[in-house]
Amino acid sequence: MKRIEVKLSLPVVAPLLDLIKQTVDDLGGRLAAPQQLQDLDEELRTAWKGELLGEQNEECRRFLAMFDREFFVSGTVAFDEANAESMLRACAAIRLRLRARELAELPDQVIEGGGTDVAQLGAAAQKAFMCYVFLATLQELIIQHLDSAILEG
Amino acid sequence: MPTARTEVAPVTREETEPALAGFWRVVVLNDPVNLMSYVVLVFRKVFGFDEPTARRHMLEVHERGRSTVWTGVREKAEAYVFSLQQWHLTAVLEPDETH
Repeated sequence: MKRIEVKLSLPVVAPLLDLIKQTVDDLGGRLAAPQQLQDLDEELRTAWKGELLGEQNEECRRFLAMFDREFFVSGTVAFDEANAESMLRACAAIRLRLRARELAELPDQVIEGGGTDVAQLGAAAQKAFMCYVFLATLQELIIQHLDSAILEG
Repeated sequence: MPTARTEVAPVTREETEPALAGFWRVVVLNDPVNLMSYVVLVFRKVFGFDEPTARRHMLEVHERGRSTVWTGVREKAEAYVFSLQQWHLTAVLEPDETH
């Protein structure tokens, strides 16, 4: 099984984890990407949303579980064929919520380009932006090394 | 001996086309958050597109705000929209009146 281990800088990443956890908590009852489901009948819409929410919550829970006691010793997280998809999706969900809640004031062009001057942001937005970039970096690593496993899985 | 008489009333059948019949488009809308490489991967995974096709649709979403990624019957279109939403893309169903 193909596996990548990513060594992270604990002093950089550890302070971000509380905001990531808060964002996951905030996601709890809502979809990260608001969907237009009004075209579906009510019963189907309820089941549809419930299933999406259930998966989203489970994937975010699995993502947070990577940052356990062992992580705080080794500073390492591992991705493989078994968790790559759910980790990618969890990162997407958390980034979407960060953008909606913590980074709402940044224009789309700044968010898309990623080239904002972090020093110009307030302390809370700086931290949110670092989380946002950190999660994108994990996604890029997973896509770069495990895309075949995801496509074939 | 009386004979049985059967009277046949004319039957009126209303041919109403179900609202969900016909062709439906699966449309992906732009969002400024998801990475381009992520969207390409999702399109390849969900639709089995080759890399250039997935990239073309991703660029269309990025530049025009939307791309029709699949057209066909309602049930399958719903399944595709659901799959895209599992990946946190914003996807909608639209009736395709060109068919």
